Amino acid sequence: MSIKPSSTAFSYRKINALAAYTIAIAAFAFLLLPVYWLVVTSFKPIEDVFVVPPEMWPHNFTFKNYVNQFDLRLIQMFQNSLIVSGAAAILSTFAGSLCAYAISRFYFRFKSILLLFFLASMAFPVPMLMITMYSTFHQLGLLDTYWALILGNTAMGLPLSVWLMTNFIDQIPIDMEEAALLDGASPFSVLMHIVLPMVRPGLAASGIFVFVTSWNELLMGLTFVSSPEVRTLPAGITLAFLGEFEGDWSEMMALAVMVTLPVFLLFMIMQKSILKGMTAGALK
Amino acid sequence: MLYRVKKAPWFFAALILPAALVVGFLILYPVINGIYLSFTDASPLRQGALKFVGFENYTYLFEEEVFYASVFNTSFIVFVSSALAVIMGFLIALLLHFGVKRFAPLFRALVFQVWVVPWICVTILWGWMFNKEYGLINYLMTATGMTETNMDILFDQTGAQWVMIAGFTWRSIPFLMVIALAGLQSISTEIIEASELDGARFLSRIGHIIIPMIRNVLMVALLLDSVRFFQEMTLPLLLTQGGPVNATMVLSLFTYQLAFENWDFALASAAGTVWLVFIIVVAWIVLRFGIRKEHVK
Repeated sequence: MSIKPSSTAFSYRKINALAAYTIAIAAFAFLLLPVYWLVVTSFKPIEDVFVVPPEMWPHNFTFKNYVNQFDLRLIQMFQNSLIVSGAAAILSTFAGSLCAYAISRFYFRFKSILLLFFLASMAFPVPMLMITMYSTFHQLGLLDTYWALILGNTAMGLPLSVWLMTNFIDQIPIDMEEAALLDGASPFSVLMHIVLPMVRPGLAASGIFVFVTSWNELLMGLTFVSSPEVRTLPAGITLAFLGEFEGDWSEMMALAVMVTLPVFLLFMIMQKSILKGMTAGALK
Repeated sequence: MLYRVKKAPWFFAALILPAALVVGFLILYPVINGIYLSFTDASPLRQGALKFVGFENYTYLFEEEVFYASVFNTSFIVFVSSALAVIMGFLIALLLHFGVKRFAPLFRALVFQVWVVPWICVTILWGWMFNKEYGLINYLMTATGMTETNMDILFDQTGAQWVMIAGFTWRSIPFLMVIALAGLQSISTEIIEASELDGARFLSRIGHIIIPMIRNVLMVALLLDSVRFFQEMTLPLLLTQGGPVNATMVLSLFTYQLAFENWDFALASAAGTVWLVFIIVVAWIVLRFGIRKEHVK
């Protein structure tokens, strides 16, 4: 009267799979709960925010919190953050990929030391670096301009760009470049017309990484600029908004959603290249 | 190698130059200058020439209680959150790789997005979630009977530290999960199948085959993450300003405040130098004892 072994194994597998799915969904619900809560709160009118027990779903759905955000100051800060992060992303990726090409294709001594330095420099205390940056920018008259933030963010992003791009360039075979050089092409045109088109996903990954970290950057934004015309989002929110918003949580959540959205979308669109760059580097 | 520097010196110089300029002026010089300044009385508020003061800044620092608190808090918060993130990231990766393989890419894509939520937004959100009267966390804790009344978590010393840990862990689980998953995917299925045929149970397979094989990857990711945690200070700066009673005063916040609130560049440089030495020691320990040599190329 015993159950056939094969059918036991089958049902065991079924139970295992069910358990795995349940735990997986629970884990993801847990991880995504804060994001869910952020978005849900941002669509509630303020009266519905202060209720116990909290509403898990906005019963009186409203866009008012978002509409209220649109004033000139915020638009200015968005624009500043876009300019600073965009320029830093371009500069860092440009300098980083050239340097990565040299590291990948040239034979020279101290190469491993150079790579190690780039990795190690991510651990250098940023506030300490900022002290000398501040003095340098002061002497050059760059304080309170976009340039202080662009250069600062470029420097912070460069090690990552070099590291990522070296991984990407290392992965492409060298044969085509060799053949082109033998055909008499100049090293520069080999780089421009053969290598760079092949590492486009890498360029995108590097650009987005630097963009995201610059978008996130608070300390330089607080320190290197003082006029609202050049202030970036994190610094602006810290200085101007946190005080004013005192207690108006639903509007703050709407603001947080708006600040997150650009990098969120950018990251989502390019996730494939970013994943490729990150995992390739880590697995080496 | 395609080129030699001697054969194409100008090309090499042109490739290196932009990065060298940025790194030279904005990373290398600031580090060296920072170490130098830590032995002086540098401050933008002070007129006249720099005075060399020897180890005075360091002796001052080492007599300061807040400094010890910040070193201790940084170590505690960074260590606990990295450990939690790596364990949970690894467990979720295991679950995805062996449990729900078909949906792994979808789950990974969803969770990975958490990694880009800007810190300023995490801070605002955390302030709301841990709010005393209406916060979700307090609601969940009283509803499940973990606490009897609502707690002002941010004004409790241990509570505030755990709020920071929760923030750091939450934001970096996705990163470690992605790295661990890539590590798992790089293990050839033959090895896993062979161990299955040998009759190894699931747990012992994980302990004896899988963990040793992706241990180095996890260690490197862990190190990268802790280095980032050392720098990150949006959360303590905005949420608790280092309080209550310095419970969330971390090294980065301490150094930043010395430099740009007290404008004491010299003392801040000394704190930065100690931080640099500290992180070099930690990295050395991790690389020396955490990485198995036979797996390194």
